[in-house]
Amino acid sequence: MMNVKSGQGSSYRERTQEFSSIAERLRKSFPSLNAGVSANNVGVGVGAVAKRTSVFDDPTVEIQELTAVIKQDITALNAAVVDLQLVCNSQNGSESISSDTTTHSTTVVDNLKNRLMGATKEFKEVLTMRTENLKVHESRRQLFSTSASKEPANPFARQHPLANRSTANASTSPPPWVKNSSSSSPLFPRKQADGESQPLIQQQQQMVPLQDSYMQSRAEALHNVESTIHELGNIFTQLATMVSQQGELAIRIDENMEDTLANVEGAQGQLMRYLNGISSNRWLMIKIFFVLIAFLMIFLFFVA
Amino acid sequence: MKITALLVLKCDSRSDGSDPVILANATDVNHFGYFQRVTVRQFIVFVGRTVAKRTPPDQRHSVQHEEYKVHSYNRNGLCVVGFMDDHYPVRSAFSVLNKVIDEYQKCFGETWRNIQADSTQPWPYLNEALTKFQDPGEADNLLKIQRELDETKIILHKTIDSVLERGEKLDSLVEKSSDLSAASQMFYKQAKKTNQCCTIL
Repeated sequence: MMNVKSGQGSSYRERTQEFSSIAERLRKSFPSLNAGVSANNVGVGVGAVAKRTSVFDDPTVEIQELTAVIKQDITALNAAVVDLQLVCNSQNGSESISSDTTTHSTTVVDNLKNRLMGATKEFKEVLTMRTENLKVHESRRQLFSTSASKEPANPFARQHPLANRSTANASTSPPPWVKNSSSSSPLFPRKQADGESQPLIQQQQQMVPLQDSYMQSRAEALHNVESTIHELGNIFTQLATMVSQQGELAIRIDENMEDTLANVEGAQGQLMRYLNGISSNRWLMIKIFFVLIAFLMIFLFFVA
Repeated sequence: MKITALLVLKCDSRSDGSDPVILANATDVNHFGYFQRVTVRQFIVFVGRTVAKRTPPDQRHSVQHEEYKVHSYNRNGLCVVGFMDDHYPVRSAFSVLNKVIDEYQKCFGETWRNIQADSTQPWPYLNEALTKFQDPGEADNLLKIQRELDETKIILHKTIDSVLERGEKLDSLVEKSSDLSAASQMFYKQAKKTNQCCTIL
């Protein structure tokens, strides 16, 4: 008994030793976790650098290098945490150990995983911010370049017919758009010669938003109608479910009533029999006669 | 939500000097005083001409003028102008203009191109359109559909409420019927007991 206990105790000690060795190993990789923290700081630094970037002076090369380094670190840390989890699971699955050890090991693994997840999320946010900055720069570049040269204006005006053709509802809208683009193209060869065409082009660009808003409002109205119909479909489905549930209730009520009917009929039969029993006089007279005879017998036995 | 006037004009986009020629005119000025009506009509004609002149071909335009919104739609030289108040939704306004212009082209084909002077003949369709489209739902199918869908949704909500009530009543009925069946069972047992017990006595 004692041997078994000591054996179990030693196995406990062995296992805790094993676990503490693994924790030691991970603590040695804690510098890499600290590197993970430093990678986080670097990520913050990347974020700051990405924020401060301007149109002309963006440190793309630095950002890309830092991003690569951070990604490598994160993948290494991920692999280490996965290894630790495997060891933990094999430990749990191999022998019967106390619940404290299991909870301890699982908590440590979960903690590490959560920290890694937090660092990855922050990294992702920094990357999205960087892409947004890039987009903003691109649009600003386009804005400034449209004022410098009229070239992008034509594809701009041409893009709208293509975009609005897909959203246009009325059959009359594509022909006006086609005509608009075809009327704008002969303007462009005359651009250098005709100074008056410039306000016309700007006017057309203004009218593009008006038609745009008209089309957009139509598209929005259609979306609303579609979502309303969808909701209506939902409501109908719910209604059907409720009615079917209530149908089942009605069936139950029906069964209950049938049970009641059977019971009452049976009870009525019994009562009729009872009534017949007590209403017929002959049976009653025989009973009274027997009672009298019995009484007389007892009387005779006691007296005589 | 009101339409005050609908005008159909012929716009000459080539020669900007000439004013557009009025082809059809329908106005509803009854809410002005009797003596102001003529002035208001002239004002409408003038503003309509100006707006139509400024609308380039195949464009829709909306101008805010005092308390009216003037919407114009120029298609191929035929321009239709509508005077609506601020509450009238813009989309329905343009669908009204679309309908009017389609109807005009169906009725008159291309003969309007030759008209050089303001035509004073009333076009009955325009007058009925003016009265019919006072309600923006009439012109705009989308708005009508949206309205009907909203009504249907309200009705469905009411239906669901009444179905829930029915469910509650059915619940109480189930309770009562189960109570009844238990009571009848007790009754049957009692009757059997009284019947069997007193055969001797």
